[in-house]
Amino acid sequence: MSPKVFVKEEKAQVQPPTLKAPAFSGSYSRYLVKFQSLIALFILCLIISLLSDKFLTVANGWNVMRQISVNICISVGMTLVVLTAGIDLSVGSVLALCGAITAGLLKFGIELPSQDLFIGFTLLGVVLAGLLTGTLLGTFNGWTITRFKVPPFVATLAVLTIARGLTMLYTKGFPISGLGADFAYIGTGWLLGIPVPVWISGIIVGLAVFLTNKTRLGRYIYAIGGNESAARLSGINISKVKTTVYAIAGGLAAIGGIIVTSRLDSAQPNAGISYELDAIAAVVIGGTSLSGGRGSILGTVQGAIIIGVLNNGLVLLNVSPFWQQVVKGMVILLAVIIDKANSKSE
Amino acid sequence: MLKKGIKYTVALILLLIVGYNSVYIKKLSEVKAAAATGKFDATLYAQTFWQEKLTPGLAKANNLPELLTLLKSDKENAFKNYSHALGIGNLRYFLIKGIGKITASNENDISVTLLPDSVGQEVKLATEFVYGNAVRDALGILSINDFSNTMDMNNVSAEINKKIRTEIIPPFRAQAKKSDVVAFTGAIELNQVHLRLDEIEVIPVSLNLIQK
Repeated sequence: MSPKVFVKEEKAQVQPPTLKAPAFSGSYSRYLVKFQSLIALFILCLIISLLSDKFLTVANGWNVMRQISVNICISVGMTLVVLTAGIDLSVGSVLALCGAITAGLLKFGIELPSQDLFIGFTLLGVVLAGLLTGTLLGTFNGWTITRFKVPPFVATLAVLTIARGLTMLYTKGFPISGLGADFAYIGTGWLLGIPVPVWISGIIVGLAVFLTNKTRLGRYIYAIGGNESAARLSGINISKVKTTVYAIAGGLAAIGGIIVTSRLDSAQPNAGISYELDAIAAVVIGGTSLSGGRGSILGTVQGAIIIGVLNNGLVLLNVSPFWQQVVKGMVILLAVIIDKANSKSE
Repeated sequence: MLKKGIKYTVALILLLIVGYNSVYIKKLSEVKAAAATGKFDATLYAQTFWQEKLTPGLAKANNLPELLTLLKSDKENAFKNYSHALGIGNLRYFLIKGIGKITASNENDISVTLLPDSVGQEVKLATEFVYGNAVRDALGILSINDFSNTMDMNNVSAEINKKIRTEIIPPFRAQAKKSDVVAFTGAIELNQVHLRLDEIEVIPVSLNLIQK
């Protein structure tokens, strides 16, 4: 056995170029994998700008950014959940309920006829109420998942239905509109030349990047997603971390709900339908592994921009909405296949 | 222990400040009284709109046979110069007038052939399903900024359509028979991308039998 080994080593030593070549292609493909979302985004922008002269304009750029800001809010929360190897299907319905509660409290307040009292809410009050609702629903998600070991898919699917039903009950199936100029500023205003929703989503992204990279909670999130048993054995309170993550996702869905309601100047009972799918798509396209432990917030932002640019481009190119769904689905499928291939090669 | 106490005190003070700036309490009876005085009256608005804007505005209605000819020859020009819409979609509205001979009285509409006979085009006068914003928007003088919310704006359309259903259509419907000639004004909705001129439905604003 030993002479054969010697021969192999000797061959390797006399052929240095063949050793270098794979090393070069390895680093090249590593770069390709690392920047795959950015490359895809660049190619997408290039194709659309060649086909439509309206795409590469400042107005359209801000339009796309304003549109994707809601998806970014939700996707950031979804990324944290997916990093723990979970999923949150309830975000779209939570968004609708929080938007409805925000609008309802702002417009109608709370009436207590027996006491002849009217409790009105200021802008700060309704925003806090919306956030609290989202966070509580997220906490409920986390509690059912950790306390009763209900699979995240099922637990959040149940909350999806509950929240949608509560939205219908609260709004009686009708939109709540006419919310005033102050509230509209959240979704339609500009601050220092940048749309307010873009500021909000930018701040959320900054905080989430800090959370995942610089805090103990961030490290715990990756640890739980990577290997939950090992994380438990190393002393991490799995239930607490997971519940916190779902609460954050709920809170971020609420922010999305407030932005949507403000932009439309109306809380629609059917708002946010299938938003969870766009969020999951952004997460997956951004390179976060659905099995948890691997991915990043900035990757998700890239994913959300790709989805937004794709939506915008298909509209500008006058593609039928039915075909738009087909194209989006295929892009998501492609992203998952690439992700699987990358995982295997690693 | 002291540190914890300070922490909780600060948190409580912050909570009180936020709470104080988040809600306000009033007497419910006062709030309801104030709301009643400032409430938008869609019925009154629709009535005023009908009398002061729509009725005089009918003088500017497009002659339907001429409009159809233009739509066939120069669609872009026809939409650009004669249609209105508040939204940004493909659906646009035209204020029209015409004379037609009744060819059929159907369950939901009355079919008329436009006169003179050389036009040869059949259109339908809606008599049952009068919905949408065609009449409100066809004149092109209302702006979304005239209303504090979209619900008020939509309620104006609902009131206009109600007036058409209850005041304009029933007397006409009771008398109209096949072969009668009717002079009508109204609004039509056309899709500027997928234009169909063979299925035109007129939402009537006025219907007058001129020859029996």
